[in-house]
Amino acid sequence: MMNDKNSQKIVDIIQNYARLHSLFVLAYGTGCGAIEIPPTMTSRYDAERFGIRGAATPRQADVLLITGYLTTKTLKRVIRVYEQMQDPKYVIGFGSCTINGGMYWDSYNTIKVLDKYLPVDVYINGCMPRPEAVIAGFVKLQSLIREGKAEGAKLYKDNLEQYRENQKKVIPNWVMPEYNW
Amino acid sequence: MEEIKSKIIERIKANFSDAKNKSYPGDRIDFSVNKETIPSILFYLKDEMGFKHLSHITCVDWLEENEFEVIFIIWSPLEKLKVFVRTRLDRDNPVMDNIDVIWRQAHTYEREMREMFGIQFNGLEAPQDFLLEDWEGMPPMRRDFDTEGYAAETFFERPGREDAKDVREILTERSGEIVPDFAKKYSR
Ligand code: SF4
Repeated sequence: MMNDKNSQKIVDIIQNYARLHSLFVLAYGTGCGAIEIPPTMTSRYDAERFGIRGAATPRQADVLLITGYLTTKTLKRVIRVYEQMQDPKYVIGFGSCTINGGMYWDSYNTIKVLDKYLPVDVYINGCMPRPEAVIAGFVKLQSLIREGKAEGAKLYKDNLEQYRENQKKVIPNWVMPEYNW
Repeated sequence: MEEIKSKIIERIKANFSDAKNKSYPGDRIDFSVNKETIPSILFYLKDEMGFKHLSHITCVDWLEENEFEVIFIIWSPLEKLKVFVRTRLDRDNPVMDNIDVIWRQAHTYEREMREMFGIQFNGLEAPQDFLLEDWEGMPPMRRDFDTEGYAAETFFERPGREDAKDVREILTERSGEIVPDFAKKYSR
Protein backbone atom coordinates (compact mmCIF):
# COMPACT_ATOMS: atom_id res chain seq x y z
CA MET A 1 0.00 0.00 0.00
CA MET A 2 0.98 3.58 -0.56
CA ASN A 3 0.57 4.55 3.05
CA ASP A 4 3.24 6.14 5.08
CA LYS A 5 3.27 3.58 7.89
CA ASN A 6 5.03 5.91 10.29
CA SER A 7 2.23 8.39 10.47
CA GLN A 8 -0.75 6.06 10.21
CA LYS A 9 -1.52 3.31 12.63
CA ILE A 10 -2.84 0.06 11.26
CA VAL A 11 -6.27 0.95 12.65
CA ASP A 12 -6.25 4.17 10.67
CA ILE A 13 -5.36 2.33 7.52
CA ILE A 14 -8.23 -0.07 7.91
CA GLN A 15 -10.59 2.72 8.88
CA ASN A 16 -9.58 4.89 5.96
CA TYR A 17 -9.87 1.95 3.59
CA ALA A 18 -13.42 1.39 4.73
CA ARG A 19 -14.28 5.07 4.58
CA LEU A 20 -12.99 5.73 1.12
CA HIS A 21 -15.02 2.94 -0.39
CA SER A 22 -18.34 4.07 1.02
CA LEU A 23 -18.77 7.75 0.45
CA PHE A 24 -22.37 8.62 1.15
CA VAL A 25 -23.25 11.89 -0.50
CA LEU A 26 -25.89 14.13 0.96
CA ALA A 27 -28.62 14.76 -1.58
CA TYR A 28 -28.48 18.53 -1.35
CA GLY A 29 -27.89 20.82 -4.27
CA THR A 30 -27.24 24.52 -4.61
CA GLY A 31 -26.55 26.53 -7.72
CA CYS A 32 -26.31 25.02 -11.17
CA GLY A 33 -24.32 21.93 -10.23
CA ALA A 34 -27.09 19.81 -8.80
CA ILE A 35 -28.00 18.95 -12.38
CA GLU A 36 -24.64 17.22 -12.85
CA ILE A 37 -25.33 14.79 -10.04
CA PRO A 38 -28.04 12.63 -11.69
CA PRO A 39 -25.84 11.72 -14.71
CA THR A 40 -22.93 11.07 -12.35
CA MET A 41 -25.00 8.69 -10.29
CA THR A 42 -26.93 6.95 -13.03
CA SER A 43 -25.91 4.28 -15.49
CA ARG A 44 -23.75 6.24 -17.91
CA TYR A 45 -21.09 7.31 -15.41
CA ASP A 46 -22.21 5.09 -12.57
CA ALA A 47 -20.45 6.61 -9.60
CA GLU A 48 -21.48 3.69 -7.43
CA ARG A 49 -18.51 1.81 -8.90
CA PHE A 50 -16.47 3.94 -6.52
CA GLY A 51 -18.75 3.41 -3.58
CA ILE A 52 -20.34 6.82 -4.03
CA ARG A 53 -24.04 6.94 -3.41
CA GLY A 54 -26.74 9.17 -2.07
CA ALA A 55 -27.87 9.60 1.50
CA ALA A 56 -31.10 11.16 2.55
CA THR A 57 -30.21 13.00 5.74
CA PRO A 58 -27.16 14.86 7.02
CA ARG A 59 -26.63 12.40 9.83
CA GLN A 60 -26.21 9.52 7.42
CA ALA A 61 -23.95 11.35 5.01
CA ASP A 62 -20.18 11.61 4.72
CA VAL A 63 -19.79 14.05 1.88
CA LEU A 64 -21.39 17.45 1.48
CA LEU A 65 -21.35 18.75 -2.06
CA ILE A 66 -21.55 22.48 -2.55
CA THR A 67 -22.66 22.42 -6.13
CA GLY A 68 -22.20 26.00 -7.18
CA TYR A 69 -22.83 29.51 -5.97
CA LEU A 70 -24.01 29.91 -2.40
CA THR A 71 -26.21 32.79 -1.42
CA THR A 72 -25.85 34.06 2.10
CA LYS A 73 -29.32 32.72 2.78
CA THR A 74 -28.35 29.23 1.68
CA LEU A 75 -25.02 29.44 3.46
CA LYS A 76 -26.89 29.59 6.74
CA ARG A 77 -28.66 26.31 5.95
CA VAL A 78 -25.49 24.70 4.66
CA ILE A 79 -23.61 25.51 7.85
CA ARG A 80 -26.45 23.99 9.83
CA VAL A 81 -26.33 20.88 7.67
CA TYR A 82 -22.58 20.60 7.89
CA GLU A 83 -22.60 20.83 11.64
CA GLN A 84 -25.22 18.12 11.90
CA MET A 85 -23.15 15.67 9.90
CA GLN A 86 -21.23 13.08 11.83
CA ASP A 87 -17.52 12.54 11.61
CA PRO A 88 -15.98 11.57 9.21
CA LYS A 89 -17.24 14.31 6.92
CA TYR A 90 -15.85 15.92 3.83
CA VAL A 91 -16.77 18.90 1.69
CA ILE A 92 -16.35 19.14 -2.05
CA GLY A 93 -16.72 22.51 -3.75
CA PHE A 94 -17.95 22.45 -7.33
CA GLY A 95 -17.27 25.03 -9.95
CA SER A 96 -15.63 28.40 -10.11
CA CYS A 97 -18.38 29.98 -8.04
CA THR A 98 -17.21 28.23 -4.90
CA ILE A 99 -13.55 28.86 -5.71
CA ASN A 100 -13.47 32.55 -6.48
CA GLY A 101 -16.99 33.74 -7.14
CA GLY A 102 -17.13 32.75 -10.80
CA MET A 103 -19.55 34.82 -12.77
CA TYR A 104 -21.13 36.04 -9.53
CA TRP A 105 -17.97 37.81 -8.44
CA ASP A 106 -19.77 41.14 -7.95
CA SER A 107 -23.09 39.85 -6.71
CA TYR A 108 -24.58 41.37 -3.57
CA ASN A 109 -25.68 38.10 -2.04
CA THR A 110 -23.38 35.24 -2.98
CA ILE A 111 -20.23 34.37 -1.11
CA LYS A 112 -17.08 34.11 -3.16
CA VAL A 113 -14.53 32.01 -1.31
CA LEU A 114 -16.15 28.95 0.20
CA ASP A 115 -13.18 27.79 2.25
CA LYS A 116 -13.45 30.86 4.46
CA TYR A 117 -16.79 29.57 5.72
CA LEU A 118 -16.50 25.79 5.56
CA PRO A 119 -13.44 23.55 5.37
CA VAL A 120 -13.22 22.34 1.79
CA ASP A 121 -11.30 19.14 1.08
CA VAL A 122 -11.44 19.12 -2.70
CA TYR A 123 -12.33 21.76 -5.25
CA ILE A 124 -13.42 20.76 -8.73
CA ASN A 125 -13.07 23.56 -11.21
CA GLY A 126 -15.17 24.20 -14.25
CA CYS A 127 -18.40 26.00 -14.87
CA MET A 128 -19.98 23.49 -14.38
CA PRO A 129 -17.63 20.45 -14.07
CA ARG A 130 -18.79 17.55 -16.18
CA PRO A 131 -19.44 14.14 -14.59
CA GLU A 132 -15.93 12.98 -15.54
CA ALA A 133 -14.47 15.86 -13.60
CA VAL A 134 -16.81 15.17 -10.71
CA ILE A 135 -15.64 11.56 -10.59
CA ALA A 136 -12.02 12.71 -10.81
CA GLY A 137 -12.71 14.95 -7.82
CA PHE A 138 -14.13 12.05 -5.88
CA VAL A 139 -11.13 9.90 -6.72
CA LYS A 140 -8.90 12.71 -5.50
CA LEU A 141 -10.87 12.81 -2.27
CA GLN A 142 -10.46 9.06 -1.92
CA SER A 143 -6.73 9.28 -2.31
CA LEU A 144 -6.62 12.06 0.29
CA ILE A 145 -8.59 9.87 2.67
CA ARG A 146 -6.27 6.97 2.00
CA GLU A 147 -3.29 9.11 2.90
CA GLY A 148 -5.10 10.44 5.95
CA LYS A 149 -5.01 14.00 4.66
CA ALA A 150 -8.71 14.77 4.38
CA GLU A 151 -8.82 16.57 7.68
CA GLY A 152 -11.49 19.17 6.98
CA ALA A 153 -13.62 18.35 9.99
CA LYS A 154 -10.62 18.61 12.31
CA LEU A 155 -9.67 21.92 10.75
CA TYR A 156 -13.16 23.19 11.37
CA LYS A 157 -13.09 22.05 14.97
CA ASP A 158 -9.71 23.65 15.63
CA ASN A 159 -10.48 26.94 13.92
CA LEU A 160 -14.13 27.15 14.85
CA GLU A 161 -13.82 30.71 16.14
CA GLN A 162 -12.25 31.92 12.94
CA TYR A 163 -14.92 30.24 10.83
CA ARG A 164 -17.68 31.55 13.06
CA GLU A 165 -16.39 35.05 12.75
CA ASN A 166 -16.42 34.84 8.97
CA GLN A 167 -19.85 33.23 8.94
CA LYS A 168 -21.35 35.83 11.24
CA LYS A 169 -19.96 38.57 9.04
CA VAL A 170 -22.35 37.59 6.24
CA ILE A 171 -25.17 36.23 8.40
CA PRO A 172 -26.10 39.14 10.65
CA ASN A 173 -29.03 37.49 12.37
CA TRP A 174 -27.44 34.39 13.81
CA VAL A 175 -30.24 32.38 15.41
CA MET A 176 -28.70 28.93 15.22
CA PRO A 177 -27.93 26.63 18.09
CA GLU A 178 -24.27 26.42 18.95
CA TYR A 179 -23.06 23.04 17.88
CA ASN A 180 -22.07 20.71 20.64
CA TRP A 181 -18.93 18.93 19.54
CA MET B 1 -56.55 43.27 -34.84
CA GLU B 2 -55.93 46.98 -35.38
CA GLU B 3 -59.69 47.54 -35.20
CA ILE B 4 -60.02 45.83 -31.87
CA LYS B 5 -56.97 47.64 -30.62
CA SER B 6 -58.33 51.07 -31.46
CA LYS B 7 -61.70 50.14 -29.97
CA ILE B 8 -60.02 49.21 -26.71
CA ILE B 9 -57.96 52.39 -26.72
CA GLU B 10 -61.05 54.48 -27.29
CA ARG B 11 -62.96 52.82 -24.51
CA ILE B 12 -60.13 53.24 -22.04
CA LYS B 13 -59.63 56.87 -23.02
CA ALA B 14 -63.33 57.59 -22.61
CA ASN B 15 -63.34 56.08 -19.13
CA PHE B 16 -59.99 57.25 -17.80
CA SER B 17 -59.16 60.81 -18.66
CA ASP B 18 -55.52 60.55 -17.57
CA ALA B 19 -54.69 57.51 -19.72
CA LYS B 20 -52.13 58.34 -22.38
CA ASN B 21 -51.68 55.89 -25.20
CA LYS B 22 -48.51 55.24 -27.12
CA SER B 23 -48.88 53.10 -30.19
CA TYR B 24 -46.84 49.99 -30.75
CA PRO B 25 -47.07 47.54 -33.62
CA GLY B 26 -48.30 44.00 -33.12
CA ASP B 27 -50.40 42.74 -30.27
CA ARG B 28 -49.34 45.37 -27.78
CA ILE B 29 -51.31 48.27 -26.32
CA ASP B 30 -49.63 50.73 -24.03
CA PHE B 31 -51.13 53.12 -21.48
CA SER B 32 -49.53 55.51 -19.05
CA VAL B 33 -51.68 56.57 -16.14
CA ASN B 34 -51.40 58.30 -12.79
CA LYS B 35 -50.72 56.01 -9.89
CA GLU B 36 -54.14 56.73 -8.33
CA THR B 37 -55.86 55.28 -11.39
CA ILE B 38 -54.02 51.96 -11.36
CA PRO B 39 -56.50 49.86 -9.34
CA SER B 40 -59.53 51.13 -11.24
CA ILE B 41 -58.02 50.77 -14.72
CA LEU B 42 -56.80 47.26 -13.98
CA PHE B 43 -60.14 46.33 -12.51
CA TYR B 44 -61.88 47.73 -15.55
CA LEU B 45 -59.60 45.90 -17.98
CA LYS B 46 -60.06 42.66 -16.15
CA ASP B 47 -63.79 42.70 -15.53
CA GLU B 48 -65.13 44.63 -18.50
CA MET B 49 -62.69 43.89 -21.29
CA GLY B 50 -61.54 40.35 -20.71
CA PHE B 51 -57.91 40.93 -19.81
CA LYS B 52 -58.04 38.11 -17.33
CA HIS B 53 -54.42 37.20 -17.03
CA LEU B 54 -51.72 39.10 -15.18
CA SER B 55 -48.48 38.23 -16.95
CA HIS B 56 -46.03 40.33 -15.07
CA ILE B 57 -45.40 43.35 -12.93
CA THR B 58 -42.05 44.96 -13.23
CA CYS B 59 -40.25 48.07 -12.23
CA VAL B 60 -37.81 50.32 -14.06
CA ASP B 61 -35.51 52.65 -12.18
CA TRP B 62 -35.27 55.99 -14.00
CA LEU B 63 -32.50 57.35 -11.87
CA GLU B 64 -31.87 60.42 -14.02
CA GLU B 65 -35.50 61.48 -13.76
CA ASN B 66 -35.71 60.51 -10.10
CA GLU B 67 -38.67 58.23 -10.75
CA PHE B 68 -39.65 54.59 -10.66
CA GLU B 69 -41.84 53.23 -13.41
CA VAL B 70 -44.07 50.32 -12.46
CA ILE B 71 -45.40 48.35 -15.41
CA PHE B 72 -48.29 45.91 -15.34
CA ILE B 73 -48.52 43.52 -18.26
CA ILE B 74 -51.88 41.85 -18.71
CA TRP B 75 -53.13 39.52 -21.37
CA SER B 76 -56.46 38.76 -22.94
CA PRO B 77 -56.78 35.13 -23.98
CA LEU B 78 -59.85 35.95 -26.08
CA GLU B 79 -58.43 38.76 -28.17
CA LYS B 80 -54.81 37.59 -27.96
CA LEU B 81 -53.73 41.07 -27.00
CA LYS B 82 -51.57 42.38 -24.23
CA VAL B 83 -51.86 45.66 -22.43
CA PHE B 84 -49.01 47.46 -20.72
CA VAL B 85 -50.16 49.81 -17.99
CA ARG B 86 -47.42 52.09 -16.76
CA THR B 87 -47.25 54.49 -13.91
CA ARG B 88 -44.52 56.70 -12.52
CA LEU B 89 -43.68 57.03 -8.84
CA ASP B 90 -41.57 59.57 -7.07
CA ARG B 91 -38.26 57.92 -6.32
CA ASP B 92 -37.89 59.57 -2.93
CA ASN B 93 -41.26 58.41 -1.71
CA PRO B 94 -42.39 55.45 -3.82
CA VAL B 95 -45.82 54.53 -2.53
CA MET B 96 -48.70 53.04 -4.48
CA ASP B 97 -51.82 50.95 -4.01
CA ASN B 98 -51.60 47.25 -3.70
CA ILE B 99 -53.64 45.35 -6.27
CA ASP B 100 -53.60 41.86 -4.87
CA VAL B 101 -57.39 41.94 -4.51
CA ILE B 102 -57.62 41.97 -8.30
CA TRP B 103 -55.04 39.27 -8.97
CA ARG B 104 -53.89 37.24 -6.03
CA GLN B 105 -50.55 36.49 -7.68
CA ALA B 106 -49.68 40.19 -7.75
CA HIS B 107 -48.79 39.67 -4.13
CA THR B 108 -45.56 37.89 -5.07
CA TYR B 109 -44.43 40.57 -7.51
CA GLU B 110 -45.24 43.29 -5.03
CA ARG B 111 -43.22 41.65 -2.32
CA GLU B 112 -40.31 41.33 -4.67
CA MET B 113 -40.51 44.96 -5.75
CA ARG B 114 -40.78 46.09 -2.17
CA GLU B 115 -37.64 44.18 -1.33
CA MET B 116 -35.58 44.91 -4.42
CA PHE B 117 -36.60 48.53 -5.11
CA GLY B 118 -38.11 49.68 -1.83
CA ILE B 119 -41.53 50.49 -3.29
CA GLN B 120 -44.20 50.51 -0.60
CA PHE B 121 -47.60 49.08 -1.43
CA ASN B 122 -50.45 50.33 0.74
CA GLY B 123 -52.09 47.46 2.55
CA LEU B 124 -49.72 44.74 1.41
CA GLU B 125 -49.85 42.16 4.15
CA ALA B 126 -46.70 40.10 4.04
CA PRO B 127 -43.53 39.75 6.03
CA GLN B 128 -40.77 42.09 4.97
CA ASP B 129 -38.30 39.39 3.96
CA PHE B 130 -38.93 37.62 0.70
CA LEU B 131 -35.86 36.54 -1.24
CA LEU B 132 -33.27 38.26 0.87
CA GLU B 133 -32.74 37.60 4.51
CA ASP B 134 -32.08 40.30 7.09
CA TRP B 135 -31.22 42.85 4.45
CA GLU B 136 -30.40 46.29 5.72
CA GLY B 137 -29.69 49.46 3.84
CA MET B 138 -30.48 50.38 0.27
CA PRO B 139 -32.54 47.85 -1.73
CA PRO B 140 -30.09 46.08 -4.02
CA MET B 141 -31.81 46.54 -7.39
CA ARG B 142 -31.76 50.32 -7.28
CA ARG B 143 -29.35 51.62 -9.81
CA ASP B 144 -27.43 53.75 -7.37
CA PHE B 145 -26.71 50.74 -5.16
CA ASP B 146 -23.00 50.03 -5.41
CA THR B 147 -23.07 46.28 -6.00
CA GLU B 148 -19.39 45.86 -6.59
CA GLY B 149 -18.44 47.96 -3.59
CA TYR B 150 -20.84 46.05 -1.40
CA ALA B 151 -19.51 42.69 -2.60
CA ALA B 152 -15.91 43.76 -2.10
CA GLU B 153 -16.64 44.94 1.40
CA THR B 154 -18.79 42.02 2.52
CA PHE B 155 -17.23 38.97 0.91
CA PHE B 156 -13.72 37.65 0.72
CA GLU B 157 -11.85 37.74 -2.49
CA ARG B 158 -9.41 35.20 -3.79
CA PRO B 159 -6.28 36.80 -5.13
CA GLY B 160 -5.55 36.29 -8.80
CA ARG B 161 -8.55 37.70 -10.56
CA GLU B 162 -8.04 41.39 -10.04
CA ASP B 163 -8.32 42.05 -13.74
CA ALA B 164 -11.92 40.92 -13.64
CA LYS B 165 -12.66 44.19 -11.93
CA ASP B 166 -12.15 46.41 -14.91
CA VAL B 167 -12.87 43.97 -17.65
CA ARG B 168 -14.23 46.80 -19.74
CA GLU B 169 -11.00 48.74 -19.60
CA ILE B 170 -9.03 45.57 -20.30
CA LEU B 171 -11.17 45.01 -23.37
CA THR B 172 -10.51 48.54 -24.51
CA GLU B 173 -6.80 48.02 -24.09
CA ARG B 174 -6.80 44.74 -25.95
CA SER B 175 -9.09 45.48 -28.83
CA GLY B 176 -9.52 49.22 -28.89
CA GLU B 177 -13.24 48.83 -28.36
CA ILE B 178 -14.71 51.96 -26.81
CA VAL B 179 -16.76 51.47 -23.66
CA PRO B 180 -19.99 53.46 -23.93
CA ASP B 181 -20.43 56.19 -21.36
CA PHE B 182 -23.71 54.91 -19.96
CA ALA B 183 -22.02 51.62 -19.10
CA LYS B 184 -19.36 53.42 -17.11
CA LYS B 185 -21.49 55.94 -15.36
CA TYR B 186 -23.55 53.84 -13.01
CA SER B 187 -21.70 50.58 -13.01
CA ARG B 188 -19.16 51.68 -10.45
S1 SF4 C 1 -19.53 27.71 -11.54
FE1 SF4 C 1 -20.85 28.13 -13.30
S2 SF4 C 1 -22.22 26.36 -13.44
FE2 SF4 C 1 -21.32 26.38 -11.38
S3 SF4 C 1 -22.76 27.48 -10.07
FE3 SF4 C 1 -21.26 28.95 -10.82
S4 SF4 C 1 -22.19 29.80 -12.67
FE4 SF4 C 1 -23.28 27.91 -12.21
